[in-house]
Amino acid sequence: MASLGGSSSSSTEYIVRVPKNTSKKYSIMAFNSGDKVNCSSWTQARMERDMSNRRMYGVEETEGAAGSEFGKKQREEARRKKFGIVTREFKVEDQPWILKVNGKAGKRFKGTKKGGITENASYYIFTQCPDGAFEAFPVNGWYNFVPQAKHRTLTAEEAEEEWGRRNKVVNHFSIMLQRRLREQERGPDDDDEEGEKGGKKKKKKGGRGGDLRIHDLEDDLELSSDESDSSGGEDGDSKPKKKEGDVKGKGKKKKKKKRGSDSEANEDSDDGDFEGLEVDYMSDESSSEEEVGEEKAKSNKEAVPKGIDEASESEEESEEEKQNEEEGKEEEEEEEGKKTPVQTKKKRDSSGESDTSEDSDIDGEAASALFMKKRTPPKRGGGRGSGGSSRTGSRPGTPSIDSASTSNTLRAAASKLEQGKRQVVGGSSESPAAKRLKMESSSTAVTTQSPAPSGKSTPQPPSGKSTPSSSDVQLTEEAVRRYLIRKPMTTKDLLKKFQTKRTGLSSEQTVNVLAQILKRLNPERKNVNDKMHFYLTE
Amino acid sequence: NLIKGSAAMSEKTEVDLTGVKQNTGVWLVKVPKYLAQQWAKASGKGEIGKLKIVKKQGKADVSFTLNEDLTSLSALGEKAASVRAPRDHPFTMHSVGGQTLAVFTETSADKISLEGMVVQRAECRPAVNENYMKLKKLQIEVSTKPQRLTEQMDRAVTNNFKPVSNHVANVEYEKKKRAEGRMVRADRQQVMDMLFSAFEKHQYYNIKDLVEVTKQPVTYLKEILREIGVYNTKGTHKSTWELKPEYRHYQGGEEEIKGD
Repeated sequence: MASLGGSSSSSTEYIVRVPKNTSKKYSIMAFNSGDKVNCSSWTQARMERDMSNRRMYGVEETEGAAGSEFGKKQREEARRKKFGIVTREFKVEDQPWILKVNGKAGKRFKGTKKGGITENASYYIFTQCPDGAFEAFPVNGWYNFVPQAKHRTLTAEEAEEEWGRRNKVVNHFSIMLQRRLREQERGPDDDDEEGEKGGKKKKKKGGRGGDLRIHDLEDDLELSSDESDSSGGEDGDSKPKKKEGDVKGKGKKKKKKKRGSDSEANEDSDDGDFEGLEVDYMSDESSSEEEVGEEKAKSNKEAVPKGIDEASESEEESEEEKQNEEEGKEEEEEEEGKKTPVQTKKKRDSSGESDTSEDSDIDGEAASALFMKKRTPPKRGGGRGSGGSSRTGSRPGTPSIDSASTSNTLRAAASKLEQGKRQVVGGSSESPAAKRLKMESSSTAVTTQSPAPSGKSTPQPPSGKSTPSSSDVQLTEEAVRRYLIRKPMTTKDLLKKFQTKRTGLSSEQTVNVLAQILKRLNPERKNVNDKMHFYLTE
Repeated sequence: NLIKGSAAMSEKTEVDLTGVKQNTGVWLVKVPKYLAQQWAKASGKGEIGKLKIVKKQGKADVSFTLNEDLTSLSALGEKAASVRAPRDHPFTMHSVGGQTLAVFTETSADKISLEGMVVQRAECRPAVNENYMKLKKLQIEVSTKPQRLTEQMDRAVTNNFKPVSNHVANVEYEKKKRAEGRMVRADRQQVMDMLFSAFEKHQYYNIKDLVEVTKQPVTYLKEILREIGVYNTKGTHKSTWELKPEYRHYQGGEEEIKGD
């Protein structure tokens, strides 16, 4: 090594050697800088060739007597030669690498060989030796390493399928969940089981979902004290998977999705997203699926009357119904991968369209309910526990526990709708639903008729429910009392509950009546977020 | 069914990470082909030249000088005698940029070790001078030469296609046939045994193949076959013979003795 001193520059010379006898073959392991790979942080690494491309052509058929011909191999080879079919040799050095870092739980990489690097120029690795000289080693191969996804991905067919539904389902969690379910079920390989599992899952989810309230009209309500974020607003994709405990907090729960990536989907769905939805009336297939699922979920439901009762009962619980049904709908949709018209419509409705739209929707929904009924009578008849208020856009403020399965909710809602419509048309006085549509007082009676067999346990006895799912809402002291017991509300919130279109009163009247009621009730006050909230304690 | 070689999970090689743990840094240098060829000719300790690094006010100029004894070109043929490989090669340095490059080695014993990370990339360029231009010209001449050449000949080639009364191959074939002689009819039962054992190996046979196997005259063989076998005219196994169902005992690969 010769060192020459210079005025402002210093130069050093190093000897370069190309070792001759090296048995080591040098290769490049290239990572994308975006992957932020830091090799020095690795504690342990294993690498091997990926032999999955090796196909042993010779041994393609059974090596047994059965089905084989004499001389088949030779004939096949001759044939291939004749047609000039050249199969590429399987070279081990050209196969990709599989690199596993930090053991089973660590990262995985696949390194594919990059072609053509030694064609026109050679790459050499220059390393400095302890004696200061450089040693140059030729590079044998260049491998680009990419990280391998550990999470499940959809296959091409599944992806295409989901793409078609992208306007309807905005929740990736559901997609993967469905897929997982499907795979699970393919094990037992039974459609019934599938439905059952779906149903059970629904139930479970319903139960858990019951704790989470989704508010339809989160936007409209502008509930001051609540985290008005995702939950209510994005009804379309409410996926309340985590139990968030307390009753009071219902509806204010954030929709937590198991997958973090889904959080983006949340924001996408707004109230009006599903307005233009085209809904197909599903084939029997889906119906039967749902049927099965529902039957399981229902666990000893009787036919229509029960359903109606339950439906009525469920109507009492506005919030839970709505939410459960939403959830149920979501889950049903996802789990069964199909939509039914009513469900979709319900979803649409409950997905937060304002109350005003509800009235106009009644006919539509009832009609669809009728359709549904034709298609799947048992399903509808089954009366869901608390699915009643499919169309309640208007009861977000009062969460209530509904541990019944969400499917129950949906079913009940649908059946109730049907009943309601039917009753309206038929004019039979028997159906409580019809009456309930108009008057709330009957709801109590109805409730008593129907113990919640479907497992729906509504802690609050439905009393004087103010808003039956279909139309009218009565502004009574009972109703207000109920709301205030459940959670503190501002006057604005209360007003929202008794919207004029529903109660049939003018806004002035509403204000007056509400004021009177409040005077009578004399609720306690508390200040939350600079706003005066009223509440009652039982 | 395809038998695919499965990814051999069992023989995963543990990678030796000492290189990266020590933060060993290496240079990745792109070298022209002719220079690499010259380097391959190095003898002794493998010294090929000198690397000179001049640090001038923060910037570094790197250049490589090829050893004199390695400048003789032989790879390009006879004409290369007049041209020598250039000696001076400045390096163009690049940063590693958008890629994280690591260097790993494999030994013949399939041991893998990570040698280090690439900290600097460089391109070795020849100093452009007369000598280099001559070299390049030579290279181009060599590479543009067509692989196939058409020559005109004075006289036609008369070594082939001479008429022959009987070709060599034919003669041998006939000799062989005569040596074998006609096929003799063996005992019926013996033939049947031969057939059964043959059908144990494969299910379908061409009549010609059976003749070869049993060494029996065709008519005789066909008679016997008609007794114990059936001829497939349609289906995948075009025109082949197989045993009658009652004689068959195939079970997914298992071979059983077929009885009468």
